[in-house]
Amino acid sequence: MDTATTTCGATATPKDYSSALKPIWCPGCGDYGVLQALYRALAAIGRPPHEIAFISGIGCSSRIPGYTTAYGFNSVHGRALPIAQGVKLANPDLQVIVAGGDGDGFSIGGGHVAHAVRRNLDLTYLVMDNQVYGLTKGQLSPTSPKGLATVTSPLGSLEEPINPLLYTLAYGAGFVAQGTPAEMPGLTALIEQAIRYPGFAFVNIQSPCVTFGQEEQQMRAHKAHLRPLASLGHDPSDQLRALDLARSYGKELHTGVLYRNPNPPPTYDALVRERQRALAPEAKDRSRLLDVFLQK
Amino acid sequence: MNSLPCSPGVDFKKLSLMEALDLAVTVEEEARDRYVELADALSIAHTPEASEFFRKMARMEEKHRVALLTKRRASFGDRPSTVGRLQIFDIEAPDYDTVRVFMTVRQALEVALQSERKARAFFKAALAETTDLEARFLFAELVAEESDHEAYVLAELARQATDPWGDPPGDPADYSDEPVSQ
Amino acid sequence: MVVDLVLGMAGSGGDGVVSAGESLLAAVSSHGYHAMMTKSFGPQIRGGESSCRVRVGTVPVHNPGGALDAAVALNWEDFLKFGAELELAPTTVLIHEAKAGPPPEALVRRGAMPTEVVAVPITELTNQSAGTEKAKTSVVLGLLCGWFGVPEDGVRRGLEKKFAKKGEGLLETNERALKAGIEHALANPLRSTKRLAPPPTHSPKLLCDGNDLCATAALFAGCKFFGGYPITPSTEVMQTLAKEIWKYGGTVLQAEDEIAGIGAALGASFAGLKSMTATSGPGMALKTEIMGLASIAELPLVILDVQRGGPATGLPTKSEQADLFQAAFSAHGDVLRPVLAPISVGDTFRVTVEAFNLAEHYQTPVIILSDQEVAQRKETVEPIDTSRFTIEERLAPSASDLVDYRRFRHTESGVSPISHPGLAGGSYLGAGIEHNEKGDPTASGAEHARMNEKRFKKLEPLQHRRDLFDVLGPSDAPFALISWGSSAGVAREAFELARAKGLAVKLLIPRLLYPIAVPVYREFLASVEAGLVVELSHQGQLHKILRMQLDLPAGLRSFCHSGATPFRPDQVLAELEALAAVGVK
Repeated sequence: MDTATTTCGATATPKDYSSALKPIWCPGCGDYGVLQALYRALAAIGRPPHEIAFISGIGCSSRIPGYTTAYGFNSVHGRALPIAQGVKLANPDLQVIVAGGDGDGFSIGGGHVAHAVRRNLDLTYLVMDNQVYGLTKGQLSPTSPKGLATVTSPLGSLEEPINPLLYTLAYGAGFVAQGTPAEMPGLTALIEQAIRYPGFAFVNIQSPCVTFGQEEQQMRAHKAHLRPLASLGHDPSDQLRALDLARSYGKELHTGVLYRNPNPPPTYDALVRERQRALAPEAKDRSRLLDVFLQK
Repeated sequence: MNSLPCSPGVDFKKLSLMEALDLAVTVEEEARDRYVELADALSIAHTPEASEFFRKMARMEEKHRVALLTKRRASFGDRPSTVGRLQIFDIEAPDYDTVRVFMTVRQALEVALQSERKARAFFKAALAETTDLEARFLFAELVAEESDHEAYVLAELARQATDPWGDPPGDPADYSDEPVSQ
Repeated sequence: MVVDLVLGMAGSGGDGVVSAGESLLAAVSSHGYHAMMTKSFGPQIRGGESSCRVRVGTVPVHNPGGALDAAVALNWEDFLKFGAELELAPTTVLIHEAKAGPPPEALVRRGAMPTEVVAVPITELTNQSAGTEKAKTSVVLGLLCGWFGVPEDGVRRGLEKKFAKKGEGLLETNERALKAGIEHALANPLRSTKRLAPPPTHSPKLLCDGNDLCATAALFAGCKFFGGYPITPSTEVMQTLAKEIWKYGGTVLQAEDEIAGIGAALGASFAGLKSMTATSGPGMALKTEIMGLASIAELPLVILDVQRGGPATGLPTKSEQADLFQAAFSAHGDVLRPVLAPISVGDTFRVTVEAFNLAEHYQTPVIILSDQEVAQRKETVEPIDTSRFTIEERLAPSASDLVDYRRFRHTESGVSPISHPGLAGGSYLGAGIEHNEKGDPTASGAEHARMNEKRFKKLEPLQHRRDLFDVLGPSDAPFALISWGSSAGVAREAFELARAKGLAVKLLIPRLLYPIAVPVYREFLASVEAGLVVELSHQGQLHKILRMQLDLPAGLRSFCHSGATPFRPDQVLAELEALAAVGVK
């Protein structure tokens, strides 16, 4: 069921996760809502901010770690996922969240998604998908609908958009969801569930670009047209149905959990830790490391 | 459980006066914070008049919050609040998408008007769901207060209409530079 | 008796030529000789032609040597393919498979034909002694024992080690072949009298290649994370760590590409671990953006670049020293990052530990600029006293630092205390975007200028790291050799030869290639009128960088050629002598 509400009772409050830095997003940007939903989800989970590593790439939405009190890393374009995997493997006790836009995640960094999914580290990947390049002012993005006229496709784009939901499901992600800041309680609950999922969890957040986005992708339109998966009676453990529903990305705005693996396999970071524990007894003293090369 | 969409987890059927007060305080708090947030966003985006208006609204919501909190403390002391921010979603707080760069004060007033109406509708719905008598009384009071706020905003709007300059036609963004890239 | 012997052999993939070279190397090193082996292969993944050369000495050997003292050709076709690697001279003893016939016209035409050419019925001897052709190289080893004084019992022990696990029969077979080789040699003495002198001491030595030692040094330095992508000739570092690092609580991530490899490594460093990546030239190009990120985010990171011939795929299995510009300068924006180069296999240990220390101390990416030869040649190394190494850790914030923590606080040294996720009170925004002391993004030009200054200032002490330079020879010598990486070993030998001939020459070998330690070079060059900067690249990149940053003596010029074929000591000596002859006038 994907109408799950945010957990209550944690002693943390959303304010604990909000930094003094003021967002520089355009007034009306969808990312403000995403940030608010994130604060609430983090408060619901209640991990102290210093135990959270929040990694992003480059883009409007990649500014988000700076607006939290977590350890943030606003890295370079498209590389948030590899960096986040290094962070998680270095310290599996951290709660690692990755965020970015559709260009960051599915264009310049697109090659990393399949591998992040197949490795299945316990990471949460939040993509603020607005179907346009906002930071560079209105160019075609990998999720822009076919035919869209932008400054780099003035005569209309000739290519089909990427389908983030279908991709991640097909790569084998254990948790795939979609939300929108037009429906805040749902989005908050999704982010919380994604963070709680023990494995790679992907939330595609339809976060409108108020400045360069199309009219039919604004919050008003979202509110009018969103279709909660729960209202369709979708069972999130049904992977095949999830794949089928994902095909309507760009046509229908489904919100909720598309797929959650009911039996999450052990994560990569857990397996790494297991291997380290198993082999630790074989460690040699630092001064004996070179002995393997000694010729007698 | 009888909850409303924007306040998941709050069961109105069982709501006591203290819980209703906690809820109201939290609603005002959320509205205050949101107005500050929107004012900040607008001031960064060089929209000072609308920003200033939202700061005024924030002060108003804060006043209301303090009044409700005082009432709550008088009756129930410092016992911890039963309602948290995680249960409150945009009840009186304007939605994030209601603001735009270079919006006029008139447009900002429209935003506030919608928010006051939204709040009134919420408390009205709460009144309908709630069974506790004292809580019902509080919600009725809140409905009336939100109506007063609405009247205030409407009066402000009327004053704006007499502004000899009026609103610029079309989208105010048409009169501006491109947004600045990072 | 000779103190130095260079042996080379070539055959087809199945002949086991390289394996024989390994046995030979193990045999002599266990006897206390200094030795090194380089190998070369055809482009085939399996079954191609292969060759190896082994240089053995009673004194330390610094390079693979020049022309061979003894060459073994199992067939001419394969032998001919390694003209550059297996260089012949009139003094070479050329041993060949008898049934292959006399040296072909193509070889004779090359000139410098050996005066002593010996046909040996290698296959026949093998079949008679071992009953199989497979033990051919054991016959060859026997010949080398009998003719050149290669220690027989060392070879025998080597065979035992190699075949013990593979079954009695195989060991006996090879021992019979070895014996047949020795007997053939003793029955057919050579005209040449070159026989290896006994080693001065029987001190035990390490035997390994540069990549092995680099990986081990990384573990020694406390490296806990490796992120990388397979690329020749650096992959062995990842392979070794992938076996070992888990024992020490570390992780190897074979990433989906070069960028993800360094990205994960940087992420691990951000999370507080000592971290490294390894690659070669093409991978360096891909990693450049994240190296810039490491610089501006002031995160420690060690990047190993095992150079190969370039650009692009270039000569993936051959050595070249043409990535120096890339290592020093490939950056967007003003970036300064240390570049270190090991000069030999043994030196790789010290340089790798130093790279980790610099990275952690100065919170900066550090590049180890190795090259294929140093990385993949196998060499005897004097045992390393690891107790004399200090291991540096990054500067942790004190309790007072964590009160209103400023990650990029301006300090006198330019180094600021660094926190890591998990540390309460130390939260900050690591960023590729310019930032203020707290780490908050800024677009201020003044802030940017201050931060650039900080990032450069912290590396200033490197200017005075004299210990990262070898300086040999009289301080007032008018002639000089400067060389780095695998070429340094050649320059070293040329220097010794020149000194023996009475030439007033000195030698500078930098391990720190960049930033240019101006005071060190100035002091060295004060007396110099003429000299050579010896490096294996078309452009002579170090020479060009020195010209850019120093006023060089007019007579100091570049001596360089494109990669694949290393310099020979006699080449460098001849060039130096020519220069000195002009200089003396």
